[in-house]
Amino acid sequence: MIGGILQQLVDGLTIGVVYVLLAAGLSVIFGVMHVINFAHGELFALGAYFALALIAPFGGTAFFAALFVAPLLVGIIGVAIERFTVRPLYGRNPLYHILLTFGLVLVINDLIYLIWEPGNVNLPTPAILSGTIDVVGLNASVYNVFVIVFGAAMALSVWAMLEHTKYGLIIRAGSQDRQMVRNLGIDIDRYYSLVFGMGAALAAVAGIILGGYQTVSPEMGMSVIIPAFVIVVLGGLGSFKGAVAGGLLVGIIQTLLRTYAPILEGTVIFLLMIGILLVRPRGLFGVEMEEEGGELLTGSGGVLDDRTRKWVGLAAVGLLALLPLGAGTFYSTYTVTLAIEILVWALFALSLDFVMGYTGLVSLGHALFYGLGAYAVAIALLHVSQSAFVAIGLAIVISAAIAWVVGYLSIRVSGVYFAMITLGFAELFYNMLYRLEITGGSEGLFGISTYYGIAGVGIALDEIGLFLGPVTLTGQSLFYYIALAALIGSFLLTRRMLNSPFGSVLKSIRENEQRATFLGYETTRYKRRAFVVSGALAGLAGGLFTLNSGYAAPSFAYWLHSGEVIVMVILGGMGTLYGPIVGATVFFGLEEILTGFTPRWRLVLGTIFLLFVIFLPRGLVSLPARLKPLVTRDSGPGAEPAPDDSHMRGDD
Amino acid sequence: MARDNSPRGRRRDILKTITIGGAIGISGLAGCVGDPDELGGGDDENFDTVQFGVLEPRTGEFSALAKEHYQGTRLAIQQINDSDEFDFTIEHEEYDTQLDPATATQQATQAVQSDGAQFISGCISSSAALAINSFAADNEVVYTPGAADISITGENCNEYVFRFETNTAQIAAVMSQWTADELGDRIVYHIADYAYGESVLNEVETRMESSSDSYERVGVTRSDQGSTNFEAFISQISDVSDEADALVVGMTGSDLAIFLSQASSRGLPDEIPIVTTTGSFRAVRAGGGEGVYNTYSGVRYVPEIETGDNQAFVEAYESEYDAPPDNFSRVGYESIRMVANGIREAGSRDPTTVRETLSGMEHETIFGPNRFRECDQQAMNPVWMGECVEPDSGELADVELLTQLSGEEAAPDCEETGCEL
Repeated sequence: MIGGILQQLVDGLTIGVVYVLLAAGLSVIFGVMHVINFAHGELFALGAYFALALIAPFGGTAFFAALFVAPLLVGIIGVAIERFTVRPLYGRNPLYHILLTFGLVLVINDLIYLIWEPGNVNLPTPAILSGTIDVVGLNASVYNVFVIVFGAAMALSVWAMLEHTKYGLIIRAGSQDRQMVRNLGIDIDRYYSLVFGMGAALAAVAGIILGGYQTVSPEMGMSVIIPAFVIVVLGGLGSFKGAVAGGLLVGIIQTLLRTYAPILEGTVIFLLMIGILLVRPRGLFGVEMEEEGGELLTGSGGVLDDRTRKWVGLAAVGLLALLPLGAGTFYSTYTVTLAIEILVWALFALSLDFVMGYTGLVSLGHALFYGLGAYAVAIALLHVSQSAFVAIGLAIVISAAIAWVVGYLSIRVSGVYFAMITLGFAELFYNMLYRLEITGGSEGLFGISTYYGIAGVGIALDEIGLFLGPVTLTGQSLFYYIALAALIGSFLLTRRMLNSPFGSVLKSIRENEQRATFLGYETTRYKRRAFVVSGALAGLAGGLFTLNSGYAAPSFAYWLHSGEVIVMVILGGMGTLYGPIVGATVFFGLEEILTGFTPRWRLVLGTIFLLFVIFLPRGLVSLPARLKPLVTRDSGPGAEPAPDDSHMRGDD
Repeated sequence: MARDNSPRGRRRDILKTITIGGAIGISGLAGCVGDPDELGGGDDENFDTVQFGVLEPRTGEFSALAKEHYQGTRLAIQQINDSDEFDFTIEHEEYDTQLDPATATQQATQAVQSDGAQFISGCISSSAALAINSFAADNEVVYTPGAADISITGENCNEYVFRFETNTAQIAAVMSQWTADELGDRIVYHIADYAYGESVLNEVETRMESSSDSYERVGVTRSDQGSTNFEAFISQISDVSDEADALVVGMTGSDLAIFLSQASSRGLPDEIPIVTTTGSFRAVRAGGGEGVYNTYSGVRYVPEIETGDNQAFVEAYESEYDAPPDNFSRVGYESIRMVANGIREAGSRDPTTVRETLSGMEHETIFGPNRFRECDQQAMNPVWMGECVEPDSGELADVELLTQLSGEEAAPDCEETGCEL
């Protein structure tokens, strides 16, 4: 028994040390620069691929040289990323880093596919690191022992550098209070590039040693980024000690559970994070950090007055209503299918904007409610009633109820912690979908049919045709109007809410929560209500998708969908309601156009995101205001300062 | 569960009729509701081209296998278009299904509705393939999936789906028979905890139980799909290795490559023989490196086999792509060829006519004479057992074939499939 536990400890330490290296860089970058770096996983993968390229001509013997050279190269790339993409964003809310680094993920990942081809590749290791060691009943491979020793030495070196050098002192001081460091006459900005480069190099080291332990593949970055974030948050943002403790803790607990409670394997990391954040909202070793604020650039009112905007809105709805009538004549019927997808995602984005754009709560787990709506509809149609109205009603109610529970537990933490705790709940749900019989396991639920009516009286869209003179509407075209009505209805509902006293309180929370509290509002309750509305609308979106497609799959609740919907909201312009609709349209439109041109379309899409977040931070809805001065040749209101105009930081 | 084949909504005909209606431009906007079946349609017997849509992910865990599929597909299309035996040419478009079934369905819709595809092929991911299964039936287009999930030609089968990929039940037949004969019948399993892993466990166990009275399941460990650290499972398997004759691994892709690599580092192959379902895949052998050496695997395809016109295929493939074909190359290649044979035989590109012809039709394939049998439209592929051995040069393990089961021997009985066609 004791021998078994010792064996598990050795096994757990191997992966734990890699987690430490990965999380340490991520944590230091966030601590000093407040950058939520989703591209950290891709830098990790890049390290492994650079090592692969360096080792290939010489064989496993070049492994040690690669372990030094590849991180250096990735470090230089890290410095360049900070200098040319991250720096223009200082002073803005960390939310913008999500869009920026999401773009970087697409760019770097597609470059890896482009240069190295898809598939798993074995990273050769030197002969000296092969074989096994058997000591007092313990069995470990030599490579595992190397990973533990080398990883621990690296972590120790970084700790010594942070603790005992002037450079480390400034970094630590900067992570606690940047303004204080500046007041002392130290130009901390100069250190940012080095910190980013160092974090990238650490990720690359982790990528190489893990590459030798597993395999190297273009997906390896995506598979580690979420665990890495969870460890950083669990240990405490910006805390090196926290990253070490979190990494080792997760590595060992995960390994022990594989033996003693395998059912918890995929969920334990999230359960741990949620549990710790509920008890200790700033993580194990996190300290009371300065508010990560920064300017949250919500969409401006634009160049149109209210009356004109109303007419433009009505005209847009009119045009949308005409869209199916031209399908098959002026354009393909596929246009209607694509439009339905856009409408559903626009509704999903609108639901997120209601909490993100109006209360400042960034949910990184909104795919939970989308997936919940989809599965609620699927299960209701299969087991309760084939009525679409009953199914969609249940989806809304269940999504709202779960949103209340998630909101109740999550809203006690804020900022990145809120984003991560919502992600944790979403991942628990995603995992659950794989395991439960009622959700169809990994394959999902298929072959679902419905009718629009109640108590057995109604119509199935596939079985009727609506003849309008020369045009026949059936199936998809009819569903298009249902999706359009759901989006317009949700838009009007949320707009009504925002124009009510309830909406005013939400906006005040976004602008200054402390002040709203001083005015006597119980802000937590208002935020929770907004979260419930948002969850219900996201559930409606997911439910509509399943009604139309006839299936639900676990991928609906995958975290990447939560990331994509955030991108849509920022792309369109948050805090405007119509911005997310524009964002979803542009997102799918770009994807549609680019996929036709090149298989590596994500490279182009990522580059567009990078340029967009740097040069048009208020979203597409601000484009008219930015273009107006150019058209009218005056410097009219609404034009925002160029990104480099502002040297003010969020903490200034 | 088979779908109802009654003449309800023929969507492709409806779409065509809508286009015609638009062109004629009947006046009046007064609406009325009616039965879309009234719109009618017909076979398309005079044609020069047929349109295929090929669906695969460009990114994600299946992208390497998808590349093989694309290449096999393109080679088949090129050969058919250059051949005098076919009086039509194939045009095709490729679509990126990304990572989920929702995108796969959207792309299939584009292929059919926008680009006019009558035939679609691809999707190695089982959940994407299952979504396209339903799509094919709803849209009445012939679909040849790449996924091995049993239910595709089992309980989720339908008249429009024809699979040339060898399914898990077929490969489990040869694995279980060879393992029981050569290694023994006390088995410990390690599976990925999702539909694929469970189906391997069920299929191998069912066949073991039927062929051996003394069969014993020593234990089962399960890892999540996408796991990258198997140390704890390897320790558990090592603990019971003395009580078992073989370890059967029900995983594929990077999960399997990483498992084999880590198991080898820990010396597990010296303790217990390891038998896998897909260790012979080139992608797994490339990822697993030396970890794949001295393990056994069910074999769906290797370029060396001498059946049918496989060697001509291998030669053409190597000449075109400067690399040997692998399992999904031949799936893409032969799926297109068999459907093309069906179109030629039917004398029509109408998917409904073609699917009626294809079901049970005899073909000459890379596996020799073959057919999509009538009861489930699954190809009757032969299967092999092989051993992955250290190569004479390079690192990529060679596959040495040990035994073979014919298509008839490997396929489960029609009554067992759950398909009711």
